[in-house]
Amino acid sequence: MQNHESELNNGLSALIETLRAEPMIAAKVRLSVLGFSDKVAVRLALADLRGLEMVPRLQIRGSTNYRAAFDDLLRRIPGDVFALKRDGYSVHRPAVFFLSDGQPDDARWRNPHRRLTDRAATAVAPNVIAFGIGAVKAQTILEVATQTHFAFVSIPGADIGMAIARFFVALTASVIQSGQSLNSSSPELVVEHPEGFRLAIDVV
Amino acid sequence: MKERRQFWQRTQDDEPDHDRADLPAHGHWAPLVVGEPIFEFEPRPPDVSSYRPDTVYDDWSCDNFAVRMACVRGYAHRYRGIPRQDEAEVAFHPQSGAVMFAVADGVSSARQAHIGATIACRSAMYALRHQMNAARDAVNWAKVLDDTARSLTSRAADTLRQDAPAQEAVLDLFATTLVAGYVAPARGGPVASMVQVGDTSAWILRHGRYRSVLTDKHDQRQQVVSSAVTPLPVLPDRVMPVTIGLPSDAVLLVGTDGFGDALGDGDGQVGRLFATCLRTPPPGRAFAHLLDFSRETFDDDRTLVGVWPRETGQEMPR
Repeated sequence: MQNHESELNNGLSALIETLRAEPMIAAKVRLSVLGFSDKVAVRLALADLRGLEMVPRLQIRGSTNYRAAFDDLLRRIPGDVFALKRDGYSVHRPAVFFLSDGQPDDARWRNPHRRLTDRAATAVAPNVIAFGIGAVKAQTILEVATQTHFAFVSIPGADIGMAIARFFVALTASVIQSGQSLNSSSPELVVEHPEGFRLAIDVV
Repeated sequence: MKERRQFWQRTQDDEPDHDRADLPAHGHWAPLVVGEPIFEFEPRPPDVSSYRPDTVYDDWSCDNFAVRMACVRGYAHRYRGIPRQDEAEVAFHPQSGAVMFAVADGVSSARQAHIGATIACRSAMYALRHQMNAARDAVNWAKVLDDTARSLTSRAADTLRQDAPAQEAVLDLFATTLVAGYVAPARGGPVASMVQVGDTSAWILRHGRYRSVLTDKHDQRQQVVSSAVTPLPVLPDRVMPVTIGLPSDAVLLVGTDGFGDALGDGDGQVGRLFATCLRTPPPGRAFAHLLDFSRETFDDDRTLVGVWPRETGQEMPR
């Protein structure tokens, strides 16, 4: 992903601007953006995008330490839900949109991932929607996602920059549609299948 | 001690000078704001082929009860040009002196949710009235729900031009929640009886406190909101009607989740507002105005039926 920082930042800007143009949905969405390499970098923490003054910059760093990401989420998500409830909000099950271009550095991510996604262990366990581009294996993405239809991998040989852009298009559509459904009798997580991606289960 | 007036109780001194050019554009009808308001915008017309008004309300009293009903389109639906998907009906049953009610919330993922809610209310009221006319000892609630589900399926058959549409197809078209029931006078005081499908709910408001009558999705022990709703035409495995006494100094409230979500456990600002304003039955237009309060993130359709016990011939303060 080294040469694709601009696609990442353009995608994040577009996501934030689109949500800002939908103030009724933006009022119900709190967004955190985390980058992970050897450790986690918090780019945005539980943000109400309507009041966001500056779009954070994403940076490409080396390595893909999945364990750092899931350890962070395991601490962060219960704390965030607690803070929102303390402020009087009803909280729906969180959603994590996970994007990686590489295989995990080691296998030690499985334990925090299992604890994070086990609803018996973590009452506020998130739905994880995983997207793999470049070198990441479909089997890995399938293991990261909490449902088989939440796991996507880019078509082999696809342009990485284009894949990142399409990931953000799908992410934006998913957030908007899920946000719209929050005012219904049956709120649901809507996951948009990104163009140029296949379901990981179809590749494994 | 001077009695505190409700927001709709104005005296002659309050009468606006209708010739004044500087009257506020909304007069007394700007939405009541609870906490942070929803931003102001001009509602879009609903994108439907048949007429679907933004707001309906009803206001009447019979010998034993005062009844108010309001059903208002949610701010999100106004913003997007989507019709009101909630529906409600209230009716007097002369033989028993009871008030019958039905409240439905069309599931927004259904293609004609507003029609599903309308059919459900109409069918449930018809089935309930039919049974009450027969003066049976007890209403067969399973049959009320079954008749309602059949009506939805029958209408779907017409719409889809299929003899026997699958349940999934009916859900896709008309899925809806429903609470149907009645409040009847009885020797020991009024008794309410009702049945529930989905997350439309009911409360007894008394002395400023709300008591859930039906299954309530606001379980404080849950860390995240449960969104599992099984709507009509799917019938519950076991029909569990609820019968409960209604104290003479209480009000029975039946409402969709557009009201229930904002109410929560009733201890917040919305609960306090309604507890204050519903101590006595307000005029119907004030009831609708109250229900149309503006509070950020609460933008779903809202429906509320209120039934206040009254003595025969008693004048209710308005």
